[in-house]
Amino acid sequence: MNNRLKVLRAERDWSQADLAERLGVSRQTVNALETGRYDPSLPLAFRIARVFDQPIEAIFIDSE
Amino acid sequence: MNPGLKPRPPFGLGTYLLMILGVAIVGGVAGAAQVFVKDLPGTLGLILTAAIVTAAMAIAFAACIWWWRGIDEAAREAHKSAWWWGGSCGMAIGVVILTVLTIHDDGSTSATVGMTAPDLVVTGMWTILLFQLAGYTVAWAIWWLKHR
Repeated sequence: MNNRLKVLRAERDWSQADLAERLGVSRQTVNALETGRYDPSLPLAFRIARVFDQPIEAIFIDSE
Repeated sequence: MNPGLKPRPPFGLGTYLLMILGVAIVGGVAGAAQVFVKDLPGTLGLILTAAIVTAAMAIAFAACIWWWRGIDEAAREAHKSAWWWGGSCGMAIGVVILTVLTIHDDGSTSATVGMTAPDLVVTGMWTILLFQLAGYTVAWAIWWLKHR
């Protein structure tokens, strides 16, 4: 699944570690999310949406 | 969840190594303790050995639950994948190797190194566990490499 995490993070001038701290996950997990190689669980997707103050569908794009 | 609250950071490698060290110490203490009780007369030695091993396993299991709850979801996925694919493949490889090595042994090799039947059972069990652990480690590393 594609996502706009990297763009949203860059807009806020956050590092991967900053975002990881806000989400309560490791930096490696943020990296895996950003590259689209790991799809988050629904609870984590909601956390991400809250952190960026955007709806989930504005962050994650269904590539199918 | 209160959006103003910062979530707790997940456990890292340091916590993992600390837990492994703690479990190893518990295992060492249990191993040393059972040496003293295993030769007690009657069924007492057997009962105490079972109690010590059970207590050590329970402590190790509790430590694993504590650690599992502290890691994040991607780390859990990596371990689930490693447990299934790595553990299963490691076990399969171990079984093939052990079977090939032992199938033509008429007992003289193990007798030469002074191993009794119970020794062989325990050695086989630990050997398979080591193969599983090796497979687990490889699969865990592959999962993270694939998800970089």
